[in-house]
Amino acid sequence: MAELLSVSGLSAGYGRAVVLSDIAFRLQEGEALAVLGRNGVGKTTLIDSIVGVTQRFGGSLSLAGREIAAMAPEGRAAAGIGWVPQERNIFRSLTVEENITAVARPGSWTLDRIYGLFPRLKERRGQSGGSLSGGEQQMLAIGRALALNPRLLLLDEPTEGLAPIIIEELLRALRKLFREEKMAGIVVEQHARKVLPITDRAIVLDRGRIVFEASSAALLADGAPLERHLGVTGG
Amino acid sequence: MPSATLLGQALISGVLAGGLYGLLAMGLSLSWGLLRLVNLSHFALAFLAAYLVYELGTNYHVEPWWSAALIVPAMFAIGVAQHWLFDKFKVNELASLLITFSFAIILEVGIQLYWTADFRRYETEYATRSLKAGPFYIPILDLTLCLVAGALAWGTWLWLRCTYVGKALRAAAEDPGIAAAYGVDHKKLAYLLSGIGAAYAGIAGTFIALIATLAPAQIWAYLGVVFAVVIIGRLGNPLGALLAGLLIGASESIAMAVLAPAWAPVVSFSVLIAILLWDPEWL
Amino acid sequence: MVDRVGAWRRRRVLAGMMGGAATLAAPGLLRAAPSGKPVRVGGTLSLTGFLAQTAMLHKIASEIMIEEINGRNGLLGRPVEYVLLDDQSKPEVARSLYEKLITVDKVDLIQGPYATAPILAAMGVAQRYGKVMIQSSMGIPKLQTYDRAFPATPFGSEPDVTYPNVILDAMATFPAPPKSMVILTSKFPSAQFMALGMKAQAEKRGVKVPLYLEYESGNRDFGAIAARIKEANADFLWVGSLGLESNLLLEALRKLDYKPKNHFHLYPAPGPLAVSADGDKALCSTFIEPDEPFMSRPGMKRIAAEYKEKAAKANLPYPTIDAQACGMVAEWQILEAAVNGAGSLEDEKIAAWLRKNRVDTIYGKARFDGPYNHGDAAQLIKQVQNKEWKVVWPKELAAPGVKLIAS
Repeated sequence: MAELLSVSGLSAGYGRAVVLSDIAFRLQEGEALAVLGRNGVGKTTLIDSIVGVTQRFGGSLSLAGREIAAMAPEGRAAAGIGWVPQERNIFRSLTVEENITAVARPGSWTLDRIYGLFPRLKERRGQSGGSLSGGEQQMLAIGRALALNPRLLLLDEPTEGLAPIIIEELLRALRKLFREEKMAGIVVEQHARKVLPITDRAIVLDRGRIVFEASSAALLADGAPLERHLGVTGG
Repeated sequence: MPSATLLGQALISGVLAGGLYGLLAMGLSLSWGLLRLVNLSHFALAFLAAYLVYELGTNYHVEPWWSAALIVPAMFAIGVAQHWLFDKFKVNELASLLITFSFAIILEVGIQLYWTADFRRYETEYATRSLKAGPFYIPILDLTLCLVAGALAWGTWLWLRCTYVGKALRAAAEDPGIAAAYGVDHKKLAYLLSGIGAAYAGIAGTFIALIATLAPAQIWAYLGVVFAVVIIGRLGNPLGALLAGLLIGASESIAMAVLAPAWAPVVSFSVLIAILLWDPEWL
Repeated sequence: MVDRVGAWRRRRVLAGMMGGAATLAAPGLLRAAPSGKPVRVGGTLSLTGFLAQTAMLHKIASEIMIEEINGRNGLLGRPVEYVLLDDQSKPEVARSLYEKLITVDKVDLIQGPYATAPILAAMGVAQRYGKVMIQSSMGIPKLQTYDRAFPATPFGSEPDVTYPNVILDAMATFPAPPKSMVILTSKFPSAQFMALGMKAQAEKRGVKVPLYLEYESGNRDFGAIAARIKEANADFLWVGSLGLESNLLLEALRKLDYKPKNHFHLYPAPGPLAVSADGDKALCSTFIEPDEPFMSRPGMKRIAAEYKEKAAKANLPYPTIDAQACGMVAEWQILEAAVNGAGSLEDEKIAAWLRKNRVDTIYGKARFDGPYNHGDAAQLIKQVQNKEWKVVWPKELAAPGVKLIAS
């Protein structure tokens, strides 16, 4: 499979504070990567750095062979980065459908297909974004990112703060995306148990560095390395 | 108790007069709501346009509609240039008040320098023609203003609702950072919107030249009532601005017919306060 | 010459002609050139803001009069220098500027500002420092309670009684004398004051007032008011208007296909009303017009001609001298006569001289020994005839061959 994303020597942070140092990893087309780690180790910073909303101190980022490290967020979105931010940040004053169509780019992910993935959004299409529940907002945030027809989908703690039944629904949708649609993605998650079954590979961050890397299947079979690095039994 | 004819006539006059409030409010509401810039110079631009229509009409005998065809695109350009300054100096909401206030003062002084402080009146044959409907008279010019304002409000509303650019603008107004991360080029859109707002000032100015008093200090005559209209109509909502304008115009006129004309200036703010207290869902 | 508004640079050319150099600039007027240290006369005018329209006429009249005075013998043989500041049409600004003129600029004399509110503000300051203040545009004489304030315009001490009767006298000569009158007025104090007087005097003389309405100054829409006037349909419409309010009202009436039978306007902008199609036969208050018999008054022809030239150069749309501009002319005439008559720049002596003597002004002979230092009332009625204002009442002062036309 062809290489989609290549990160090397990446140092980044906010303002003058360096959060990530010397990050390097690769992602293949159609591959789903879990980014694990405790609170405050730089998982969100990694996602934000790929989106382009952090301060970059060094290193390179290339998407499908194209260097994107110097690009503004607008350019990276056009190059194929689809972002589902941790706070969801949906446009509250726009309707559900407008949230999707306001940013839509041509491609295979049409409004109908997005509604197909999240039927609840179709039911709520005319409602304002601000009136949605947390889970619906998360679905909308994912739908909105898909509307960009991205090559790479970045999800930052997609299950945080949601009811278990909603989490189930979300994970089913993500599994479908990654497994059936072969969408390439990076999922930041504190709880490894939720995300390992839907991803191909996992990296563990600690204090701004990658400290461990393995296939998701292997980690599911043997949780010991996770316990070592995360101090938990896989959450 | 006033007669039904009087009430009906007052209502017609008021609604039509409210069209000008709505028209003036639209540009202001767009830039305030979608760019987070409170453009006080909007009124000065409208009066600049009005003076130009007056000048071309009285000295060169150019029909106001032809003048508008020249002036409105020029206003668009001024709006774009203005936004270039806002962009260059990274002006925020509060600073925009100050800067556009200064800009308005400069325009006021400029107008006074060229046209003097004296009252100007553009005499046209349009000004006083009316249609008769039963016992009521409908002034054609005011009606035209309302229809133009209505068409602009609808058009702009649809544009914001249904086009990619419109939705992107609204998204960027709410969260420019996130919108940028979704590929929305907020800056380019902001120039467009700023130009459109100023062009609307040009259209409003064309009508001001035909129906109102021209004097430099008159720039500020509409400030209070139009701000009330912008807020009642919801920021960034052109249709709301127009409807609020019609509402305020009608309320003022009914107050003048039923109570005393001196009550009129109190009406706009009373309606504003009443609506803020009522706090309906659509606000 | 202090000119605060930098944008008024164009006027500086004219302003430069004031002050000490004025005699050289106007050799035609030169008789005994005043010499020595200039006498500095300070004042404010509303060069900007909502009163700026009329203040500009006063400014031009001042420019002319300073040239005139300096072309004669100046004040006590010394040239006059006018220190003019812009009060922005705001009383509080006028107040602090007069304070500054008196205490910081240390002017020798002061001249009044324009319009009732700034005049009242300036009068308070003048009183504190005992300065004589001559003003021409306070329409409510009873507010002039300071004994060293003098009116240059012949309102008389009770214009709210005398002037309505002048109008009622004129109305009584109509072929069908009006029996009812609608009174509409701005709440601008001097207009409202006259409107209340008009109502009282009309009712006293048996003219019914079926509708009396007040509107806020700056009223934008006259549609509803016009509908009420149309419905009342009185024989006479009296409007206490300022600026273009009368034009807007008459247009609103025409939109309702209604033409008032006879209509009077208190303080409208004269130019626009005269040229408007709706202004035909409109009646209006005045004290003087550039016609006989007034043109025969000393200096009037020269001043009117010079005014026309300067006003046209300043790009004024209606460059004809009117009662407003003449008010400022009279202010300077009174100041010149009083200073030279008293032989002193001391305010006490100037005030005493004014109370005892009469002054020849452009408005005729003025006296200041009545209530509130006012003298005789001399208000006239003018009418738009063939798009020009002509004095029509009282008959003996009507323009040659012109008669009051009733409809």
